[in-house]
Amino acid sequence: MDLTYAPEDLAFREATRKWFATNTPTQDLKTLDERKAWHRTLYEAGYVGMLWPKEYGGRSATPMQQAIVSDEMARVNAPPTINGLGIGFIGPTIIIHGTEWQKQRYLKKILTAEEIWCQLYSEPNAGSDLAGLKTRAEDQGDHFVVNGQKIWTSSGPIADWGILLCRTDSKVPKHKGISCILLNMRQPGVEVRPLKQITGSSLFSEVFMTNARAERVDLIGKLGQGWEIAQTTLGFERGGNSLGRVTRYASAFNQLVKATKELRRHGKPLIEDAAVRAKMGRIYADLEVQRYAALRVLSALQKGDAPGAGSSITKLSYTEFEKRYYELALEILGPEGQLLAPQNEFDEIDTSSGEPGTWAHAFLWSRAGTIYSGSSEIQKNVIGERVLGLPKEIRADRVKG
Amino acid sequence: MDFAFSSDQQLLKNSARAFLDEHCKPATVRSLWDDPRGESEGLWKEMAQLGWLGLSLPEVHGGSGLGMVETAILMEELGRAAYPGPYLPTILAATGIGEAGTDAQKRRWLPAIATGDARATIAFLDADFDWSPGAVRTRAERTPQGWALTGDKRYVPWAHVANVLLIPAVAPEGLTVFLVEPSARGLGLSPVAGMDLATRWVHVRLDQVPVASDTVLGTVGAGAALLGGLLRRGAVGAAAEMLGAARRCLDMSVAYAKVREQFGQPIGSFQAIRHKCAEMLLEVENSHSATYYAAWALDAAAEDQELAASVAKAYVGDAARKVCGESIQVHGGIGFTWEYDLHLYFKRAKALEPMYGDGDYHRELIVRTIAGS
Repeated sequence: MDLTYAPEDLAFREATRKWFATNTPTQDLKTLDERKAWHRTLYEAGYVGMLWPKEYGGRSATPMQQAIVSDEMARVNAPPTINGLGIGFIGPTIIIHGTEWQKQRYLKKILTAEEIWCQLYSEPNAGSDLAGLKTRAEDQGDHFVVNGQKIWTSSGPIADWGILLCRTDSKVPKHKGISCILLNMRQPGVEVRPLKQITGSSLFSEVFMTNARAERVDLIGKLGQGWEIAQTTLGFERGGNSLGRVTRYASAFNQLVKATKELRRHGKPLIEDAAVRAKMGRIYADLEVQRYAALRVLSALQKGDAPGAGSSITKLSYTEFEKRYYELALEILGPEGQLLAPQNEFDEIDTSSGEPGTWAHAFLWSRAGTIYSGSSEIQKNVIGERVLGLPKEIRADRVKG
Repeated sequence: MDFAFSSDQQLLKNSARAFLDEHCKPATVRSLWDDPRGESEGLWKEMAQLGWLGLSLPEVHGGSGLGMVETAILMEELGRAAYPGPYLPTILAATGIGEAGTDAQKRRWLPAIATGDARATIAFLDADFDWSPGAVRTRAERTPQGWALTGDKRYVPWAHVANVLLIPAVAPEGLTVFLVEPSARGLGLSPVAGMDLATRWVHVRLDQVPVASDTVLGTVGAGAALLGGLLRRGAVGAAAEMLGAARRCLDMSVAYAKVREQFGQPIGSFQAIRHKCAEMLLEVENSHSATYYAAWALDAAAEDQELAASVAKAYVGDAARKVCGESIQVHGGIGFTWEYDLHLYFKRAKALEPMYGDGDYHRELIVRTIAGS
């Protein structure tokens, strides 16, 4: 056991820090074009798709290097890359399961964000029970005709392409009848409607497909292999972003420390109140443990150990932590914690949602983490069955299948 | 960067597990509950032969010169076995003697500790139960022969079997640590029993206890740093021991949930039980990260070593209590019986929670570090 950074990682961090010190935009990026331009700059500097193989335009970097970049970006609050889903898991899905034609056609434009991608998985009646999805794709030989509705699609309004899970065979057990197809979002049969969340903004959309057309050449893997493909690519991203995520929590915590020194109650700063101190200590201990755990995951990734079902522990851990964190922070801040528009400098924090906001935004957003990408309950099922080896529950759909 | 154990560390862990499974079974622990000493001389001597007692001592004094990570590995296994005996206080005291002792003090105590001929302990707490080295109330007054110590030390682990006690006391120059033998005149020992019958504490009363000048450990007046460092090591050692107890409870719960049937199915197939087990695993894994990060930070003298020790003790104390408690819930009625072994580990974790600084104490230290006041 040795947690010191290797000399080459220290050198890489220093070079990365210098680059971001020089190149990070000083103004907020407002338009999509501005964000695309920043993304392009990052891409040209080699900071996008770092884990992708060189032959597909990546850097074949180590997980440690990727983690360092994400950490340094968090340190200076650099605007994020766009096309996160495309780079994080759709591109890798194409690399692993795609045809040569698909790789040539799509990969480079994912990296450069010339084409923005979204994920078309969840449906109104297929959330945790994703395999129960109903969107149909009828096989017409050289193409499919797609009908159905998707929900919780991020980047929907700006997406050019989507990775779609759809039913191509309704006569076989539900997990076997699902296929994975790339869908052009820019066609009359696809309608995107923004979905307003409890935060007041719309990071997600509903997507309606009415006789939309998907090409045969855009089928990933074989017909009926979609569920299997989706399983291999869930949780691709967990690990590489872990250090950066903790750094964002820590920079928000610094704002909380400032707040407790400036806000006063009973004639003295909050930080002098024993009850407040106890809560601060509790959050920070919890936050540091997230950091140690991130280093542990990273060191395993660096050695080439696939996290497998263990990534469910990571996801469960940090999303549940986020809820505890912002609940305690809002208890400490009192009415100041309710603000949606900042009144003091310490009200503005990195909310972990990719959008700037206040403590209230972060608090509201923290309710999403334990639902998206497999709810906490689903993660606990995975941990119970695949890590602890507990028996599977007897489920009505399994009995029928 | 490598968070995993080295092959030597893994070997130490495996051999400790194998040894304790064989020589420190639950029946062994139970057999010592009514023993006045509460520990086994035979077990202690075997631990010495395995090199455990000298693990972290310098090689010139019969030790192996290993670090806190290795100590934590052993402590975790000892916690897993609910081992009864003065291992942690002895090695903490030995570390203090090794760090601050004179050559004569080291020669006197360290080889004897490494061979299992001597046991030692540290009296961190005074009567007002404040873990801060600055809160020591026991007084040290100069006498023509050396010093006289007067005060009340509380909950001193295993003092009734110790051959030497590290007694912090306030001298006119400041906090000073003394090496005191239990036969000293004016020193009274009163054992107290807690709910973990395999952990022993002793109240130590000092009434004008005369000690010679050469019993001062380190520099007169400079004891706070020494004591603070030992408290941090104790906190990480206790975190490792609680982690071991928690992992034992988790393992027993998972094994039980696979075979215990109700409503015609193994209870582990019910989400109510499976989710509990998953939450317990999460707490155990986070506790592992916290404990070994802190152990490494102490070995590496990392910038955040003090913070990491406090984080580990505060976090693992809460986590182990939760995990061990939930293990009783997973087991149901049988987990509440005296015959079933779960309570050995449940009580061990609980017994360590208030020691070496409780969660509130360490969280306050954390806030002082991050808020700067």
